[in-house]
Amino acid sequence: MSELSTLQKEQVVTAADPGNVDSVLKELRKIVGDANCTASRHIRYAYSYDMSFVKPKLPDYVVMTEKVEQIQELLRFANKEKIPVVPYTGGTNIGGLTIPERGGILLDLKKMNNIVDIDPEAHVAVIEPGVSHAKLADALYKHKLRFGWPVGPPSASVMACAVSHGIGGLNAKYGLNSQEITSMEVVLPTGELVRVGSCAIRHDAWHSCLPLPQLDGLFKGWLGSSGVVTKIGISVHPIPPLLKVFTVSCDKVEDMYSYMLNLSNYEMCDDLTAVSWWLAQVPIPYPFRPKPNDAPEWFSFATTTSWTEKEKEAREEIWEKVFEEEQKKGTSIKRTVYPEEALKGRTQLPSQVVGSTKNYCKQGGAGISWPGTFTPAKVWAPVYNKWKDILIAHNLSPSVRMSMYRGVHYGMLRAMIPFNKQSAEETENARHAIVECLKVDLDAGGIPYKPPIDFANEIIKRADPGYLELLRRMKKFLDPNDIMNPGKLGI
Amino acid sequence: MDWKIAELKELEDKIWRCTACGTCKVAYDYGPPPTFGEICPAGTEFGFEGFMASKGKIAFARGILSGELPWDDELLEAIYKCTVCAGCQNQCQLDHKPYIPEIIEAMRRKAVDEGVGPMPLHKNLLQSMKNYDNPYQGPRRVRNDWTRPFKKAGKPIKDLNDEPAPVLFFVGCTGAFNTAARAVPTSTASIFQKLGIDFGILGENEICCGSTAMRVGDSEEFKRVATKNLETFKWLHDERGVKTIISSCAGCYRAIKKDYSLSSEYDKVMEGIEVLHTADYLNRLYKEGKLQFKGELPWKVTYHDPCHTGRHLNKFIIDQEGKQLWKGAYLDEDQSACLYEQPRDLLKAIPGIEFVEMKRNRANAFCCGGGGGVMTGFGEWATKNASLRIQEGEDTGAERIVSICPFCHFNLNEGAKRISSQIKVHDLTELIDQVLVGKSDD
Ligand SMILES: Cc1cc2nc3c(=O)[nH]c(=O)nc-3n(C[C@H](O)[C@H](O)[C@H](O)COP(=O)(O)OP(=O)(O)OC[C@H]3O[C@@H](n4cnc5c(N)ncnc54)[C@H](O)[C@@H]3O)c2cc1C
Ligand code: SF4
Ligand code: SF4
Repeated sequence: MSELSTLQKEQVVTAADPGNVDSVLKELRKIVGDANCTASRHIRYAYSYDMSFVKPKLPDYVVMTEKVEQIQELLRFANKEKIPVVPYTGGTNIGGLTIPERGGILLDLKKMNNIVDIDPEAHVAVIEPGVSHAKLADALYKHKLRFGWPVGPPSASVMACAVSHGIGGLNAKYGLNSQEITSMEVVLPTGELVRVGSCAIRHDAWHSCLPLPQLDGLFKGWLGSSGVVTKIGISVHPIPPLLKVFTVSCDKVEDMYSYMLNLSNYEMCDDLTAVSWWLAQVPIPYPFRPKPNDAPEWFSFATTTSWTEKEKEAREEIWEKVFEEEQKKGTSIKRTVYPEEALKGRTQLPSQVVGSTKNYCKQGGAGISWPGTFTPAKVWAPVYNKWKDILIAHNLSPSVRMSMYRGVHYGMLRAMIPFNKQSAEETENARHAIVECLKVDLDAGGIPYKPPIDFANEIIKRADPGYLELLRRMKKFLDPNDIMNPGKLGI
Repeated sequence: MDWKIAELKELEDKIWRCTACGTCKVAYDYGPPPTFGEICPAGTEFGFEGFMASKGKIAFARGILSGELPWDDELLEAIYKCTVCAGCQNQCQLDHKPYIPEIIEAMRRKAVDEGVGPMPLHKNLLQSMKNYDNPYQGPRRVRNDWTRPFKKAGKPIKDLNDEPAPVLFFVGCTGAFNTAARAVPTSTASIFQKLGIDFGILGENEICCGSTAMRVGDSEEFKRVATKNLETFKWLHDERGVKTIISSCAGCYRAIKKDYSLSSEYDKVMEGIEVLHTADYLNRLYKEGKLQFKGELPWKVTYHDPCHTGRHLNKFIIDQEGKQLWKGAYLDEDQSACLYEQPRDLLKAIPGIEFVEMKRNRANAFCCGGGGGVMTGFGEWATKNASLRIQEGEDTGAERIVSICPFCHFNLNEGAKRISSQIKVHDLTELIDQVLVGKSDD
């Protein structure tokens, strides 16, 4: 038998008292059956890490549920015994959010993967946690419908993305994926089954969270720490037949900001995104490689879809106007042909190529993390310039993306940072740089999404005491024994 | 003869290319239209992430290498609960992609080398290989039983030990010893005779190709039989004029084409010898206008791609010298050696057949569940998995499901029985044999 290396001894911690394992397992078996729960080390190990810089930690048990009632029973038991529970669907959140801080039960929801309903008339789909983007894309396409697919793995969960305020390829048109949630069914940490939105009033009405008080907020952005969501309704949208992607490049981030701000006023894009030269490379250079002097520093793709040629022409007309105005301002903006493979990765979603991290990690190796933030557009340029300094000083590529959200002048500002996870030093280097970047962004008014604990701590440091108190009270109210994904909120 | 079979440690850097993104967990293609399907038999059955696709297997590999996962019975079982179907490999896009089945088998080799593997039932199989040169505990003379009807009919099959012929029909142990799969060699030989092909077999002197030993991690046993076979092939070429080796077994074909190429002598030994699967060989003859069919088979038919004649034959283009990307970067795959179209073209050519495709096909075909030692090690699961594939066949409305591997043939049959399916399982050769016009019919 091999000994644990010093590094791994440091990295992997476990919380269960070995004496209790058998009795807990016995209870878990009663709830989900023998085949759906385990305390075997090799199975727990496979859940102990993800691609992020977050240190691996072992859960004590892994449980797969197949029915809502099992989740209820499980949470009642866990709440009574004060055993942590971490909801899991694919573990691809890039923030270590399913790495159990305090051991406990890793609740793998992949077997609950039914598409309960697609209403092609009302444009609402009802899905369980294990429904992947790939599965939903396949099913929706039969009705010529789509959703805001992220550039993540096709196997990852639509629900996990949406409840975590995920971002998809329709964010400029319809908003964040969490804004697409129309109703929710949730098991509370104490085991009660609740519904919010229209399905709370009539069991088969999943069309809207409004005009009721927005209790859906209790389960969105909580990183699996306020309950287990078992069903959501989501808005789905028709696929217009004509795609037109407007691509430009420029030399300065300020010029790109100016163009995006201008274009976003017309609210005509499905997605309005810009990427730095480093992010436009397939893959992102690792370690940092200087950009050739003659290459533009920024590229943008503005994805639009239209129903008729006339509508498309009208969009083209607006775009030409914006482009001319930007040129007149004397900015460095130019029409550009965006590299085909990179463009495919942005428009043909869900994408196996991008989702498999090829475009990001192929050179880096095993690791990827991000300062991923919602940041006011007016500070994108100064924040980017600081990030660039920090990242280059750490020998990392400033592979940054800026995306304008629906009808607002704020959006996603994030740097996808691949690193060599095989090396503890290189992982720590990336972590250090990313946390530094995050602090800059927070101080400029940005807020990280799907934040790993390092980020959560930084948020809490800056948070208004009233907000913190309310957060604590709500958490205590919903989860009196702090069993749900404990530690992740940083409170 | 030297063999270049990687140890797990040698693959460590590849193992650390995996980002745990989980893309390998489902078969997905953008299309349009987009297509989605489960791809991992082990993940489908056992669910937990460790079982799930290459993501899970690589987790085990990391833990084994780092010492965080010391051997125990459950870990051992988990690394064998994988059909090594390479369905997961087909989805991954990173630099370790070309090595994914290798990583899985290298874990098994490590288990065997360290005296903990393989699974008890595999041990019987390996002992049988040592005792009988086949995994079925079949006495050598039984290997020829399937040829009796030919002798009886006055059409004996040539024994290459005694006389020359340009074509060796490498029968394989499953066709020879597993009576339920005997139709495979019988129909193959019947077709060859009808076509007037001058071919022979090694009869009682044929030995196992070694595929099963390799799949369950016993590289020593694999090397023993593979070395002997390569020596035999050379002898057959030099002394008996053999220029073509034909196999109707996907496993043997994959082993001879791919596993044997790990030998330092492969190119030298195989010079002047072409290795073909029967489906490929017959398809060539068909394209040359040399296959004529009479009558018709009025059936709705679907086709199951064996992993070993499909995605296992992918060639991976790797930047060996770092000229395009960096040293060892995976650049692209070349599917030209995969036998996807050949069997389909033949099926479509048979009069009366209405061909329908299952949703998961070609590179994304769902494994029958029999490979990687699973049929021996975990028979019940293998059958259950086969029944999922049978169900998929039934969902197309097909009445017959055709394949080109005696292993798949046997396992799919078991799967069909399990769910009392009405669908009939055939080897491609059975169908062709039924409608082929022989030389004597002219
Ligand atoms: C290459 C790459 C690109 C990506 N691009 C994007 C992108 O463009 N946009 C984007 O939004 N994301 C992106 N992601 C992140 C991620 O893939 C998505 O958010 C994804 O959908 C998460 O799904 P998952 O199944 O992996 O969730 P997990 O990681 O398993 O879970 C995410 C969080 O949700 C919680 N959770 C899961 N299920 C439930 C439930 N039923 N109830 C309560 N809590 C639950 C978990 O506890 C965890 O906190 C990307 C990831 C990668 C690797
Ligand atoms: S094997 Fe490939 S596809 Fe699977 S998790 Fe690893 S990197 Fe992703
Ligand atoms: S080789 Fe097949 S059975 Fe094994 S992990 Fe990959 S997909 Fe699953």
